[in-house]
Amino acid sequence: MRITAFTQLILVLAVTAWVFLLPIPAVATLLALELVLLLYIKHDRMTMAAIGALTVFTGMMIVLQLLFGSSLYISLTGGLRMFVMTTAFLDLLAATKIQDIAQALVEKFHMPCEYAFMLTTALRFVPDFLADSANTLDAQSCRGYSNRGNVLKRLYAYLAVVKPLVMRAIAKSDTLALSMELKGFGANTYKNMQPQTLKSLDYIVLLLIIVLSSFPFWQKFIMK
Amino acid sequence: MIEAQEVNFAYRRGEPVLHDISCSIADGESLALLGHNGSGKTTLTRLFMALDHPRSGQVLIDGNNIEKCEPADLADKIGYVFQNPDLQILEDTVFDEVAYGLKNKELSEENIKHQVELALEAMGLSEFADIYPRSLSFGQKRRLGVAAALALNPRNLILDEITNGQDEQEKEMMMNYLKKLNTEKHITIILITHDMEIARKYTKRSLVLFDGDLVFDGATEKLFDGIKDLAPWGLTQPPLAKLGAVFGINALETAAFCNGLELKGAEVK
Repeated sequence: MRITAFTQLILVLAVTAWVFLLPIPAVATLLALELVLLLYIKHDRMTMAAIGALTVFTGMMIVLQLLFGSSLYISLTGGLRMFVMTTAFLDLLAATKIQDIAQALVEKFHMPCEYAFMLTTALRFVPDFLADSANTLDAQSCRGYSNRGNVLKRLYAYLAVVKPLVMRAIAKSDTLALSMELKGFGANTYKNMQPQTLKSLDYIVLLLIIVLSSFPFWQKFIMK
Repeated sequence: MIEAQEVNFAYRRGEPVLHDISCSIADGESLALLGHNGSGKTTLTRLFMALDHPRSGQVLIDGNNIEKCEPADLADKIGYVFQNPDLQILEDTVFDEVAYGLKNKELSEENIKHQVELALEAMGLSEFADIYPRSLSFGQKRRLGVAAALALNPRNLILDEITNGQDEQEKEMMMNYLKKLNTEKHITIILITHDMEIARKYTKRSLVLFDGDLVFDGATEKLFDGIKDLAPWGLTQPPLAKLGAVFGINALETAAFCNGLELKGAEVK
């Protein structure tokens, strides 16, 4: 039994709010739960790479905050919050088909279908973009460009790759737009799909979201 | 010389792509690398170029193990032309695109200009030197990829599906030029192709990969005798070789017979 894309989207939004509402130990517990869930749903190389990249990015963010004068506590909690929010999004992507997310956005959140499609297409382009980027780097190195050396040199080498990638992405999006038009993409695209009806598990999760989201209010009530 | 010694490779653990491949390609050979989609052709040549490294076994270029090399170290020894020409284009003019590798070698402006002009002329692209490379046709982009590799004067050229998307005239022009490079300048040509006719006509030796195994290593004319059933390897005999077999021509004479037919065709024109 699985929760629908709608509930999952609400959950992701709620997690974004919880990282600021809940006490830090609860946020850390949330992170542990998210990671367990993510690895339960998908434990392939891509998932591990995503977690690794996110860890590195969080580390960089913490260091930057420290460099700009924030205290160690603020930097660490900031990093933790960002990690939890992003991991929730990774969980959503691992657990749900992109098509279902788009349908939920149109059906339940009343987002115009063009925007929903744009959002989901951007996600679909990520693996393509990574593959193209690797191929372009290969082509560059086969023509004598060595990216051995310091980080700055590598970054400069990567700049040369950005232009062809952007040009290719534009060409791809143009072809995709034309192909979607030929397939009759429009307002009815998502309406014709099987509607996502909420089940009992969805209601339980939604109730839990309400309870946790109102934590600051009932915390005061309990304290009294 | 390019050698592979008991090479094994997998992109993912438990999913081998190449099993115990051993072969050697001597300087000045013209070789076709054949096989069905996913048989490991491109992967094998990526190992030759140090784009990937074998899980076990070794690849030697001129007798040296390239385990510690990166592609840039081999760029003046091996020219590599990728399947997708769009992903190779890095610069804003055709001239600069061909000059890219030469600039990396830090040659003089004069030298760069001379070598770029030669490469563009060889591929029939001189008139497009100042044009934005992405505006070229697919076939022209392919030739641009070959010109960019040629400009570096490599002794070996690996060409991955370069005849795809080209019309017959462009194909013939490019292949004749490569043949000339092979026969006159003794540049090794390694041609990855699905076009059996191109392989029959322009290469002397063929390697056939099937599901990551090297199943044939020998003369192209022996492979394309018009009789051998190549279907189990996902290949077909070229039409002219089949025709030769219909006339009962000896397997080893098929190539000569086919070339004769082509000659007669040309005379009729």
